[in-house]
Amino acid sequence: MPDAAPEHVLVTTAWVAEHLSDPRVRIVESDEDRALYAMGHVPGAVEIDWHVDLQDSLQRDYIDRAGFERLCAAKGISNDTTVVFYGDKNNWWACYAFWVFKLYGHQDCRIMDGGRKRWELDGRPWSTDRVTPAAGRYAAQEQDGSIRALRDEVLKHQRAGKQLLDVRSPEEYRGERMHMPEYPNEGAVRGGHIPGALNVPWPMNCNEDGTFKPVKQLEKLYIRELKMKRRSPTIAYCRIGERSSLTWFVLKYLLGFGNVRNYDGSWLEWGNCVRVPIAKGAAPGGAEGTASASPAVHA
Amino acid sequence: MGSARDRLEAIIAEFADLDGREKLELLVDFANGLPALSAEYQARKVAEDRRVHECQTPVFVWTEVDGGAARIVAEVAPEAPTVKGFMAILAEAVNGRPVDEAQSLPDDMLERMGLADVLGMMRSRGLRAIMARVKRGLAEKATVPA
Repeated sequence: MPDAAPEHVLVTTAWVAEHLSDPRVRIVESDEDRALYAMGHVPGAVEIDWHVDLQDSLQRDYIDRAGFERLCAAKGISNDTTVVFYGDKNNWWACYAFWVFKLYGHQDCRIMDGGRKRWELDGRPWSTDRVTPAAGRYAAQEQDGSIRALRDEVLKHQRAGKQLLDVRSPEEYRGERMHMPEYPNEGAVRGGHIPGALNVPWPMNCNEDGTFKPVKQLEKLYIRELKMKRRSPTIAYCRIGERSSLTWFVLKYLLGFGNVRNYDGSWLEWGNCVRVPIAKGAAPGGAEGTASASPAVHA
Repeated sequence: MGSARDRLEAIIAEFADLDGREKLELLVDFANGLPALSAEYQARKVAEDRRVHECQTPVFVWTEVDGGAARIVAEVAPEAPTVKGFMAILAEAVNGRPVDEAQSLPDDMLERMGLADVLGMMRSRGLRAIMARVKRGLAEKATVPA
């Protein structure tokens, strides 16, 4: 079972507006474009940036436990704080930050459904004030391996034929798109997908206004059409683990998948690894066929 | 008015003195200053394939040369103020200057502005790619006799 019912983990912009000065709540913005926060943020919200705040600059990994404790304290977050994440791009970076907070065991994390887009559509105010919260007191737990998949675990999972979800675009899945001419290659030396992975592009989880689709529609997609099982161990991945953290959130918190992990190494690692199998084409196993869920993508 | 390089150096110096938050605010100021596309370019945007496909948010850019002078024309979606501000900075440096001068813009500008640390490695790479694209676009135009 998920930690909480969807109506608890997902909050509306109205809920956030009512809790702006609630000392038990900290609103956190996480964006693809950092300048958005400087342009205007939810009043009282602090910013946590995944590139700058959550990544270790030396090891390709997240900040360590002590670093996470320092970050939380600086952002005015204590162990018992309700942390509400929101951001641009259908909340994908917000989901990423949510996932890192869960990695270190933060209890009460929520997502503001629809993120910046919904806040704007609802006509709510933006603030450019500098937010300097009183320091929090934080003691993090060790990383929770039950929500993070590392490469060798993914390989074992793949060999066992267990549920794998590739949430990238169909072009990336088929191995047709890696990076563009003249653009720096921050991708991989091989294009394709992990053999056996189903392709459900992440925007299929979201409505035009950035909110998540109703649970019934999501159930229809993942469970009825794709025949995925809530009780089977599942791993989601994308290119660097950000888009798949959104799908991870959907599976775990909106659909109640019991064992779902995000493979944050994702294609940027897998597509560069020596002696790991990849598949090309539209079918999970790599042969010709149509395994992609219909890509009605509106990113 | 100085060369494209001189103009950019002045902007770099302005950024270098600011703290992280102020740098982002100045970048937003530049973004707000990027002029809207004229009707001519609005029409061309539809007719020509000017979309920068590397960017996930819609970005359209033209590198033009009028009588030997460079002109960057761009439209960037409002949800991407970092790219928009960066494009405005490049335009402010090179527009109206001899097209060759664009090639002297320093590739380490983001580091010297202190923006590389504020934006992180991945975003900085994206901006460097945009700069390379603009430089290349102007270089190609420069070799074509007017």
